[in-house]
Amino acid sequence: MREFVLTSTGVSGMTILGATTLNFIHPATSVSIDIGFIRHWVGQSANVTSDMQQICLMTQVTAFPTLVSATPRNLKMGDPNGPIITGATTGAAGTCGINASAEGAGAKTLIWPDQFNVVNGYLKVNTPEEREVAPAGAAFGVNLWFSQPPLTLTGWAWGQSVYEIA
Amino acid sequence: MGKADDDAHLLIGSALGTTYRRANKTETYVSVPPALVITDSDGGTWTLGFKRVIHNHQFEFNVLRNGVDVGEMAKLIEYTKGVVKIFGHYGWKSFSRSRRHFI
Repeated sequence: MREFVLTSTGVSGMTILGATTLNFIHPATSVSIDIGFIRHWVGQSANVTSDMQQICLMTQVTAFPTLVSATPRNLKMGDPNGPIITGATTGAAGTCGINASAEGAGAKTLIWPDQFNVVNGYLKVNTPEEREVAPAGAAFGVNLWFSQPPLTLTGWAWGQSVYEIA
Repeated sequence: MGKADDDAHLLIGSALGTTYRRANKTETYVSVPPALVITDSDGGTWTLGFKRVIHNHQFEFNVLRNGVDVGEMAKLIEYTKGVVKIFGHYGWKSFSRSRRHFI
């Protein structure tokens, strides 16, 4: 099973840009490979005061967010193949990106909402049978999304680990 | 921000490639998951890594302290009254007072 992570960059986290989509992953249409999600995480690097923050997993149809291009990284170091999903700023099919600067006008659909304290961060681990799967050819991408901007915009680190289902 | 810029009293550790700075250790009974990190009184930052196995239809991940694998797999890391505990298919284990291993 080929596994990848799509994460924020920098050892001290990133500054949330104008929008609140943290990760956006859109399955490919040209090849029949689904994308499964193993876990999702968000944390704040800087020393912060206690505050609750809502986090959601959403789907979004076109128009997609405007993103910072980021390429998923192999979790298995010996894997000679790159991921089927590549980095891009557009959110188009077969691409992914991080830290949106604009949300895009496409309708979002909530998969699950949750809340966490920014001091402790958030880690969602699915049981194996409950992993979310975004099917190949889907008209939507999957957002890891803050429903509201956080109190402090700086120092955020996040990621998702995903696998390909052929 | 470099370490030279930090308040000497901050607890500083790392998890999943990110440096975490905290003024206080984590409150008691916080567990990973659903929290992402636990900061102990030494500034050790605990989280679950990416290596995993399945036991009883649940994932167990490798346990990391400041990004270093401590050689244990767990479903849960919990901070209870100043002691880091992990839970897996073997039951509960506690981090020793010597800060070297789980017993």
